[in-house]
Amino acid sequence: MFRARWRRAGLALVFVLAFGAGMVRWLRHSVVLAQPSEPLPLSVYSRSASYSVPLIAMNGQPYVGLVDLLEPLGSVEARPDGKKFKLRFSAPGSREVELQFHDGKDKGKVGGESIKLAASFVVQDGRGYVPLSSVSEVLSRALQAPIRLNPSARRLFVGDVGKRYSLDLRSGTPSKLFISFDAPVNPTIATEPGHIRLTFRRDPVVPSVEQITYSDPLISGARFSEHDGAGELDITGTSALMANFADGGKTIVITAAPSAPAPPPPQQVPAPVAVAPAVPAEPQPKPAGPPRFFVLIDPAHGGTDIGAAITKDLPEKDVVLALARRLQHELESRGIAATLLRNSDTAISLDQRAVTANAAHPALYVALHAANTGNGVHIFTSSVEGSGVSTRDFLPWERAQSAYVEVSTSVADSVMAELVSRKLPNTLLTAPLRPMNNIAAPAIAVEIASPDTDVADIANPAYQLQVTQAIAEGIAATRNKTRESRP
Amino acid sequence: MTRPLLIMFLVLTLAAGGLAVYANHLRKRVAQEEKRLSEQSKVVLPPAAGPMSPVSLYVAYDLEGGLHRVQDNLALPEERSERSRTILRALLTRYMQESSSHAIGASSDVLDVFLLGPDTAVVNTSAGFADSHPSGVLAEELTVASMALTLNANDPRITRVKILVDGKERETLAGHVDLSRFYTANDFELIVRDAK
Repeated sequence: MFRARWRRAGLALVFVLAFGAGMVRWLRHSVVLAQPSEPLPLSVYSRSASYSVPLIAMNGQPYVGLVDLLEPLGSVEARPDGKKFKLRFSAPGSREVELQFHDGKDKGKVGGESIKLAASFVVQDGRGYVPLSSVSEVLSRALQAPIRLNPSARRLFVGDVGKRYSLDLRSGTPSKLFISFDAPVNPTIATEPGHIRLTFRRDPVVPSVEQITYSDPLISGARFSEHDGAGELDITGTSALMANFADGGKTIVITAAPSAPAPPPPQQVPAPVAVAPAVPAEPQPKPAGPPRFFVLIDPAHGGTDIGAAITKDLPEKDVVLALARRLQHELESRGIAATLLRNSDTAISLDQRAVTANAAHPALYVALHAANTGNGVHIFTSSVEGSGVSTRDFLPWERAQSAYVEVSTSVADSVMAELVSRKLPNTLLTAPLRPMNNIAAPAIAVEIASPDTDVADIANPAYQLQVTQAIAEGIAATRNKTRESRP
Repeated sequence: MTRPLLIMFLVLTLAAGGLAVYANHLRKRVAQEEKRLSEQSKVVLPPAAGPMSPVSLYVAYDLEGGLHRVQDNLALPEERSERSRTILRALLTRYMQESSSHAIGASSDVLDVFLLGPDTAVVNTSAGFADSHPSGVLAEELTVASMALTLNANDPRITRVKILVDGKERETLAGHVDLSRFYTANDFELIVRDAK
């Protein structure tokens, strides 16, 4: 009897140990599942900005960072507190909305009203993530605006921003297809025999005419589709086609390409405005005509390199990415194309940044940094000696910037003047900052610190807006000088 | 609940409680040890011996984003590289004080200064100097500039300075400023403000 009891107790102990081991395996498996994989971008279109945010696979489905999503749309103040995640958001001209979620739970509150997510909310490293399938509901309540999400194409439209188009085929020799938009567009254009594809990554082009067939000897049809965070208009023809822009970019005219001795291989024709890559920018082919004027914005750090810890929950890499997106918007609103060298939380080495920048041939390179020491905005140009060096000289890697120091200094002075006019604390210095010395283009670095004694104020949207407006104005004021410096 | 099960439960509970107490004890010991090591690794300047000599230090001020030249008095060794090392340690000690205008990590130290030829100094700093240095373009530049200019101000023959970390070359000090190159006093002309 007594022995039987001990046997039962032993069995119970074995059961408890087996259960514990199972729990440990399950926890480890959950942690592995929660590891983010290579992020894909979600393209977001709104009246204030077009941008992309990385999608992160967690628990078997795509998630998006709440702060990444909301930051370009208004003022965001996130307060992660252990497993709780609170966020205050206010869009320009709207009342403040509070969003509350809890790690591992699918219920939360937006503006005081309960919301049920399609899957559990995730808090990881102080950042809050919502499942992509619940983004429409969360945003529509936070913004009080209609939201259209195409999850398979990874395109999100905030409010009524869709650009529509009309097709008008004019038969002749050769025939011409007029594609008219209500605002200028900047697609990437790819041609191959019998096809021309217009890819709209930053323009919120929506399907107006999904598919049309023509009985024309040159142009046989057009089809619109959405995929990979972009809209694509594919025009088919019986021979090689080409595209021309008209009406200030509002109209694209498709017609027969001039006959060539041999069929041209597939090629990418660069668009007039650069398209922000979601991953480290690939070297872009140099256009045959006059070089495009665009600013390459380099948000420093990324991935495992967090940069400075501005506060416990605010790494430099996040501050500068948000700042870069704001600066891109400010530049584009002044008619200056801008590309981000890093548009997600990706690690890029210093040499790789310089190689990418030099291959892209930007009119200006702007490195963005943030610090928790000092205050105001610090502007830097390279400390390499620049006198007597021409852009035509062959220069060593560590002195590639020397041919551009004069123009870089002019841009820095111009940005400084804008900061002064806005009464923002500022410092202008030269710095041995990598990879500035390796950049073969005019280059400045901007380091933003808190405007006052509270380091957390570095993330104040009003302050960041003032700073990015000053930088954009300063760059715009020296646009002609920067353009002339290009070899 | 049967008696053996009850005994088993009590034993497991006692074991869990004992482990919790032991874990807490270990945690406290680790914290004490870390504190002791951090205090040990603070730079302690040798006691002043011999006559005091005036030295010039280029001291960084984060809020101004510049350096000010200040005068100090130190007991300096005769040997040239040791003299440079003593002056740099005095500079870093200023930065490690609580009310410093330019805070750096508590375990920062200058291990050696090697003089190569008449004009080049190679400064070998401790690993803690770079590992615990505040990250930022301006903060890092102020540190490097103050060290290079201080060396030059007290030994004008030193015109080129290279900084190593724990005997090795590093790409950057704390993620920003280039440590792979030699610096001259001329590299930091703009950063010097008036004397204090």
